[in-house]
Amino acid sequence: MIPLRLSVSTVPLSEPLILRLRGSGSPDHFSAEGHDAVLQSFSDGMAEYDANGISVSVRVSDPTLIDGDILLLPSEGRTAHRLIRAGSSHNTLLVTERCDQLCVMCSQPPKNYDFDLFDSFAEAIRIAPPGQYIGISGGEPLLLKQRLFDFLISSTRARPDLKFHVLTNGQHFEMSDMEIIEALGAERVLWGIPLYSADPGLHDKIVGKSGAFVTLIQNLADLTRAGAAIELRTVVMRSNVESFGTLANFITTRLPALQVWAIMQMERIGFGRMNWTHEFCDTSLEFGPVASAIDVATARGLPVSLYNFPLCTVPSDWRRYAVASISDWKQKFLPQCIDCALRANCSGFFEWSPADGGFQRIRPE
Amino acid sequence: MKRFLIPSLLAAGLFGGNAVHALGQESQSLDNGPETKKPLLQKLQLEHLFTLARHSSHRSHSSHRSHSSHRSSTGGGYSAPSRLYTPPAPSAPSSGFYTAPSLSKPTQTAPTPSAPTGTVPALPGNSNKFASIVMQVQTALFAYGYYEGAIDGKVGEGTRTALRQYQEANGLKVTGTITNDVLSSLGIAAR
Repeated sequence: MIPLRLSVSTVPLSEPLILRLRGSGSPDHFSAEGHDAVLQSFSDGMAEYDANGISVSVRVSDPTLIDGDILLLPSEGRTAHRLIRAGSSHNTLLVTERCDQLCVMCSQPPKNYDFDLFDSFAEAIRIAPPGQYIGISGGEPLLLKQRLFDFLISSTRARPDLKFHVLTNGQHFEMSDMEIIEALGAERVLWGIPLYSADPGLHDKIVGKSGAFVTLIQNLADLTRAGAAIELRTVVMRSNVESFGTLANFITTRLPALQVWAIMQMERIGFGRMNWTHEFCDTSLEFGPVASAIDVATARGLPVSLYNFPLCTVPSDWRRYAVASISDWKQKFLPQCIDCALRANCSGFFEWSPADGGFQRIRPE
Repeated sequence: MKRFLIPSLLAAGLFGGNAVHALGQESQSLDNGPETKKPLLQKLQLEHLFTLARHSSHRSHSSHRSHSSHRSSTGGGYSAPSRLYTPPAPSAPSSGFYTAPSLSKPTQTAPTPSAPTGTVPALPGNSNKFASIVMQVQTALFAYGYYEGAIDGKVGEGTRTALRQYQEANGLKVTGTITNDVLSSLGIAAR
């Protein structure tokens, strides 16, 4: 598992610091405007960097592993966060840990405390490697809506080469936001929004918030009207798998102009771990409802992607919809995957998937 | 639903020029916002082209779907900064013969929480964040006779040379940078 935090030591700081780590051979895409920390020496697992004349020591087995990374050093504490890893396409900024929904499969249950790191994020984005697709997640990012919008506006302007993928529960959009959404542009920001059922009662039950469905559908309509790019996300679970056909019908007839429908497998961590035994739907044995949902959506022109479905668990006719979706730092493969011909394009498994992968039918090819 | 049907009826040649005009009016009237807003039909049309373009090549670069990765952010979480380091008033390390000039903490130009929409907030470089601690180090090095340059809060060549000399003379690791050893040796308290 790729570490997202690093042990560091530096002088006391008055506010959080954003640094770009530079080894001798790292490419200089652009000036990091005083953010560069230049590698001076490395011994005994400690890399010493010179950041504007201030020493920053980072514990790492090999400094080339973190070369070009953008670190956030909180003003307190000895742990730095690898906000943007240079070699990764899975960088995600965590905006808040608070959320107003309590979804049964939530992989990161909300915590009720506040922080606001948007200023640091904005600094990091300015010196991010070119062409990155940056995730914005939480918690519910739109609980800090004004800050989020300001961040997105300034970041999309400062870096025309970057795109953003915002994961939100879609509960907090208002008509007055639509001008900003439209100005941000469908090409730059993809809104990833979950819908679990066409049945309002079931959706509300799954997300733990009454009235969530009605609000969501209204907001999806507003977003569509603003021309926003929307990725609709549905986790397949025991409680909604049987109504997948109805959901496919609903999505394709009531929600026009979606970018993609992402059908997702559960992640066994957080509430997802708590509820695993009664919610995990083993699609390696029971793919039928998902298959018909894909067929309906595809026939009606809505692109579908399968996230977190290991390729061999998907019947071959539907494998082309499965993408290697699991982020590099939390992806693993099973011992029997070593020689599998499908591995290169496979999502693999989550670091916290059960030892046997969770699926009963895993057949490396 | 009606407005989606009209284009296909138009395509089938069922209406004349008046209908084209009427369609335009309808799409305009959907938007009550500012003049700059695109009519809905235009937005959806753009979207549609986008979709069609992607259809031809599944992994087109223009598409969000191309590498739209699954994101859940599990394992994330940043320790929220709660206590802030407040620089102490600079004082001479031990001897007492030196009266430090009263240095006020430089005002930070952090972006205001609600920057005006559309303007890029002025982002402070790291050198600004270090300024107060660098000034304390420069003042102390000046007091000990290692440094003669300006107390400007920037680690330039003069400061680096002074740091190297100080580190060497005091048996510290010679880095030419401000380390924790330098701070404690100079008696610059962290808290």
